[in-house]
Amino acid sequence: MFSLDLQTVLPEVILSVYAMAALMAGVYTTKDKSAGLLIWATAAMFGLVAFLIATREGVDPAFGDSFVDDGFGRFAKVTILISAAVVLVMSQEYLARRNLLRFEYPVLVALAVVGMMVMVSARDLMVLYMGIELQSLAMYVIAALRRDSVKSTEAGLKYFVLGALSSGLMLYGASLVYGFAGTTAFDGILLATAGETPLGVIFGLVFLLAGFAFKVSAAPFHMWTPDVYEGAPTPVTAFMATAPKVAAIALFARVVFDGFGGVVGDWQQIVAFLSVVSVFWGGVAAIGQTDIKRLMAYSSIAHMGFALMGLASGTAFGVQAMLIYMAIYVTMNIGTFAFILSMERDGRPVTDIRALNMYSRYAPMRALAMLVLLFSLAGVPPMVGFFGKLYVLRAAYEGGLTWLAILGVIASVIGAYYYLRIVYFMYFGEEKESLDTGTSPLLWGVLMASAAVMVFGVVNLFGIEPLAAAAAATLVD
Amino acid sequence: MSLFIIVLLPFLGALLPGLMIRAGRQVCYTTTMLVTGAAAIGLATHAPAILRGETVTAKLDWLPGLGLNANLFLDPLGFMFAALILGIGLLIVAYARYYLSREDNMGEFYVYLLLFQGAMVGIVLSDNILLLLIFWELTSLSSFLLIGYWKHLPEGRQGARMALAVTGMGGLALIGGMLLLGQIAGSYDLTVILERRGQIQDSPLYLPALLLILLGCFTKSAQFPFHFWLPHAMAAPTPVSAYLHSATMVKAGLFLMARLWPVLSGTPEWTALVAGAGLLTMVLGALIAIFKHDLKALLAFSTVSHLGLITFLLGTGTAFGAMAAVFHILNHASFKAALFMSAGIVDHEAHTRDMRRLGGLRKLMPITFSIALLAGLSMAGIPLLNGFLSKEMMLEEATHTTLFGSPMLVTVAATVGALFSAAYSFRLIAHTYFGPERDDYPSHPHDPGAGMWLPPGLLIIPVVVIGLFPALAEPFVKLVTGAVIGNAAELPDAHLKIWHGLVPALWMSVIAVIGGALLLMAFRPLSKAWEAAPRPEAKAIFDDVIAGSVALSRGLTQRLHDGAFTRYAAIMVVTVVAIGAHAWFTGTAGLPTREMLPMTPIAVVAWAMLIAAAAFLVAAHRNRLAVLILMGIIGLMVSVGFNHFSAPDLALTQISVEVVTIILLLLALNFLPNRTPAESGAPRRIRDGVIALSGGAAAAGLIYTILMSDFPLGTISDYHLANSYKGGGGDNVVNVILVDFRGFDTFGEIIVLGIAALVIYALTETLLSSKVRARLLNRGYETEQAGDAHPLMMVVLTRVMMPVVLMVGVYIFLRGHNEPGGGFVAGLVVAIAVVMQYMASGFAWAARRQRYPYHGIIGAGVLVAGLTGIGSWFAGVPFLTSAFGYFRIPPMQEFELATAMGFDLGVFLAVVGAVMLSLESFSRLARRQDTEDSEYAMDIDPSRGAELVPGRAKEEN
Repeated sequence: MFSLDLQTVLPEVILSVYAMAALMAGVYTTKDKSAGLLIWATAAMFGLVAFLIATREGVDPAFGDSFVDDGFGRFAKVTILISAAVVLVMSQEYLARRNLLRFEYPVLVALAVVGMMVMVSARDLMVLYMGIELQSLAMYVIAALRRDSVKSTEAGLKYFVLGALSSGLMLYGASLVYGFAGTTAFDGILLATAGETPLGVIFGLVFLLAGFAFKVSAAPFHMWTPDVYEGAPTPVTAFMATAPKVAAIALFARVVFDGFGGVVGDWQQIVAFLSVVSVFWGGVAAIGQTDIKRLMAYSSIAHMGFALMGLASGTAFGVQAMLIYMAIYVTMNIGTFAFILSMERDGRPVTDIRALNMYSRYAPMRALAMLVLLFSLAGVPPMVGFFGKLYVLRAAYEGGLTWLAILGVIASVIGAYYYLRIVYFMYFGEEKESLDTGTSPLLWGVLMASAAVMVFGVVNLFGIEPLAAAAAATLVD
Repeated sequence: MSLFIIVLLPFLGALLPGLMIRAGRQVCYTTTMLVTGAAAIGLATHAPAILRGETVTAKLDWLPGLGLNANLFLDPLGFMFAALILGIGLLIVAYARYYLSREDNMGEFYVYLLLFQGAMVGIVLSDNILLLLIFWELTSLSSFLLIGYWKHLPEGRQGARMALAVTGMGGLALIGGMLLLGQIAGSYDLTVILERRGQIQDSPLYLPALLLILLGCFTKSAQFPFHFWLPHAMAAPTPVSAYLHSATMVKAGLFLMARLWPVLSGTPEWTALVAGAGLLTMVLGALIAIFKHDLKALLAFSTVSHLGLITFLLGTGTAFGAMAAVFHILNHASFKAALFMSAGIVDHEAHTRDMRRLGGLRKLMPITFSIALLAGLSMAGIPLLNGFLSKEMMLEEATHTTLFGSPMLVTVAATVGALFSAAYSFRLIAHTYFGPERDDYPSHPHDPGAGMWLPPGLLIIPVVVIGLFPALAEPFVKLVTGAVIGNAAELPDAHLKIWHGLVPALWMSVIAVIGGALLLMAFRPLSKAWEAAPRPEAKAIFDDVIAGSVALSRGLTQRLHDGAFTRYAAIMVVTVVAIGAHAWFTGTAGLPTREMLPMTPIAVVAWAMLIAAAAFLVAAHRNRLAVLILMGIIGLMVSVGFNHFSAPDLALTQISVEVVTIILLLLALNFLPNRTPAESGAPRRIRDGVIALSGGAAAAGLIYTILMSDFPLGTISDYHLANSYKGGGGDNVVNVILVDFRGFDTFGEIIVLGIAALVIYALTETLLSSKVRARLLNRGYETEQAGDAHPLMMVVLTRVMMPVVLMVGVYIFLRGHNEPGGGFVAGLVVAIAVVMQYMASGFAWAARRQRYPYHGIIGAGVLVAGLTGIGSWFAGVPFLTSAFGYFRIPPMQEFELATAMGFDLGVFLAVVGAVMLSLESFSRLARRQDTEDSEYAMDIDPSRGAELVPGRAKEEN
């Protein structure tokens, strides 16, 4: 029995053991000198584990059904692992050139990823909390990786304190739920809420969701996002904008369906509220930004709002839409951050979007790729980003939330403005100082690949549709 | 040829010019012509079927889960548009070949042009509205690239920006509208949607869907109030203007309105919005056009005006209106494209498009003049040319249309629009070609080669032929009209002919032409008045709107995201409280199911003290020492509370923890100023107070409800009470929970505790090896120091107490399993004993007598606990399962031993080590430059006579 359980959590075990071994090796051997190597090794490890997970099938519960390996979890995990691997590899050169390449970085990323994998597979509030904290603690540290920068440390501290507040809310909610349901297992909660729902459970749900909203950075729990995105080193920002978002939103879906599938009406209101506030606030606030990292922070808030829109529908199609949306979002974001990482002038990083003036003139290929990505982020057809929006809007509509779908459309119109503004700068800006034209082949490759996915994915979305449908079906019966 | 191939040809072909340009401009041009030509021929192969009234379809599944398929269908309406797109496309490709100069990258230009062409064909052939959307936005994208093709023109930048912003956002709105439409109809297939008129118009979502769709159409077709972007986009090369902004792209909005005409039209909302906007655009565009000096700007506004005309016709919602609209689309495409190309020729030859610098070209450029004359007169609505026919129909329709309750409004507005239209047409011809020949043209003009004048020349043929023999066009126009109106209305029984008799429309036409001519005669004074008159400048308004929204966004962001942590926390708290309140008021809280416990006076007093201390703490929080004392009181009251609710164990633990915490905090206070500076004003504090109170009230309400109601499934306490002795061998439930039920938790906790202590140590080390060290060592004293730092009484007392306290520790440790106590409390007690020694005799003295490093003690604690846990594996049970037994070692009485005690020992050691290590760290920070380590236990020692500590002695002397 125990060995079967271990078999189920094998991917997590492998990564944890790897992370600990890497940490020890790093401490007692070459320390930061081998950090570059460690980054590649960790990325390779992620790839390996992703492969291992992708080859699995069926639904395997472990440890008294407090952890489960199912299609939904696997979809999320593979997305998390692959995106984390790509971001990790992208960050090496940037960190090395700014003397930030510490061997702890890949180790912490690996630990955070383990936390995320636990999050998406949790079937018990305690396991869930463990996953969340493992991920969060690692993230707090890497957010403040640039210790000699006031901005970076302040951002890290804010992130930590607010994160602790949200963890507290979540725990409070979990204990309330436990108090009324008598169990922390999702199955038990589902059973306990089958009849009339006690108010205590609803409160517990409110607190839990507030905590999750913080993790996905949905407005109005998003306040940390712009500061942390701006303050953290860009590779860390890129990481934050991708894998953890997938994990948090998958966990969100897991809890509301597996644990609270009996009280859809209650959480639907909250999720829809979060969704609306996020899409609008993300869109409106981004208009005034000039720093591309802050802009991406607001953009991520808006995108999370759209992903939550799929969830709010409360249907299997909604979950499928959400998964597809997240997969697309992550791909777009990786490409965009590959571009941001390569924004330099005289070797120093630049994040002001006005620095992109007339970029198309001296770097036409990269400008074109970025144009594709930005159009995709804005949800303009025929880029793949459009299909993501289409899925969630349809899901919201079919889930009976017409008003949400209409508001979503309006918000996407508002949101398009700031993406298009960057395009405008790149193609029609005024002639000013130009950025460095050279870029590492790796970043160039990632940017181009991501843009190509946005264009050629139109054919069949690379076949993720049936995968997401199957994954959603395992979650929503 | 399959419809798919027709649509795909331009896309696939778009790869070719980019490659072929290496082989030379002629090859590049020929390839593009071949691609467009092939698509046109493909379309032509379907012409017979279309003319027979059949519909050609091609089906292909795409993303079925999304309801997305790649179905295409070709009906007369689609055929007309596709023919316009490909036909005019051929002419434009040819024209551009000669128009583009050697420096221009022709390959790039043709790539974009073909992409655009493919997207346009896609729009008009799509059967699926989602597919239509995709092509729709593709036109935005490729037109953006085309407009931006001449990057070196500064006005091109602004134009592109507006075009991008307006049409891009309109496109997104259209997505929403289409989604709603698809949902109402239950299908995304146009062929299905067009059958569902009743269902769609009865739906409550009809209006939102209509608004969003019209937003898309109006922005694309430059209808009021979005008419402003089109003229600014005219900075693009003339072939682009001619193709996109007269013949094709701007017609996409019209196409969509025509396509959806059967299901959307006929309602009061449709008529008011579409006909109203169309009419307004027609008049306004025409008026502005009159006073534009730039040939292309004039044409641009005239295009806006004509698009308004067609929109108006579609908006009336009658079959006759639809027929007039179809006819005018055909006519406008022909004469306007010709005019644009002729304007391009003038620009190309004379190097200016400013009419004030032109004039008298009639004799210099006779061919261009003839083309422009015929096309311009057609635009003015002069009989025997095609523009006249459709304008007559428009005026006829106007007389029958009532808008906003006034039948005269439309008639007058239409006449005025036609009048203005005639005026600018006349002006275009008169000011460019008539008048005296000048000798100051920037470049001496003459007719260009046939490559440039032939395309517009070909377009003039239908202008004249249809104008003379309208009956020729009638079958086709009626066929298309039938496709537009579908089953929604009967085909009108009207005929295209030049002479309808003395109908009102004719008089209106006559008024328009004469009025237009009169207007031109009075052009100079009018122009002066126009220039002097204040009028809203669309571009400035657009810029202001953008700047305003950016400022608004910045303002909002700065208010909400000012970087202050308190604000972020406040927003989170308020939101949670608000959602909670919503749940509270909408949910069913249920009445209390439990009795209140009796309120004893002691409980009330303690409760009052707790509240008072907490309130006072908030009020006095700037004074740090006071805060510490109040915290002590609160902690004490909490421990008393535990005791009151029969949890002596918790009370004991709480008290010990309180003591240790307060001591450590006191030490830390040493390094901080006495008072916290005030950073916020009164309003801010009041606001924060309200938020805090609401949060507190919410928590209180929640707790009250929970405490006053029964849990559905008993409490967990019952389980622990029942199993504590049976499973863990202890009567002290709390201790058994700690070391047995939740042993794993506790194991984790002592590790965390140890790590925390190590972190404090590491931070201290870092501080002491940095620049801060000097500042720490040299800092002054804030208050006067006591002369006797280590007083005799204190030293003696602590020495005496040490063994007593240690014994108490051991006692508490041993009884822990059954009575209040345990390793945790014992650890704290022992730590207090040791701390007292440090306080009495100073850090250095005590540290010298401490043989084991505290890191080691922490490590030993964790190790012992871990080994105890592992021990259970050897008994074949899971980690940390405890076992217990009773033993008797003479002469002692029988006593119980549980493996949990080994674990408890680990807890004990870890706690002692952690507390002491933190203390040590603080002490190391506390040392100063001028104090030396004393080698004695006390400063004044009677056994040493009057000898004093050397350092201190000097000071006192």
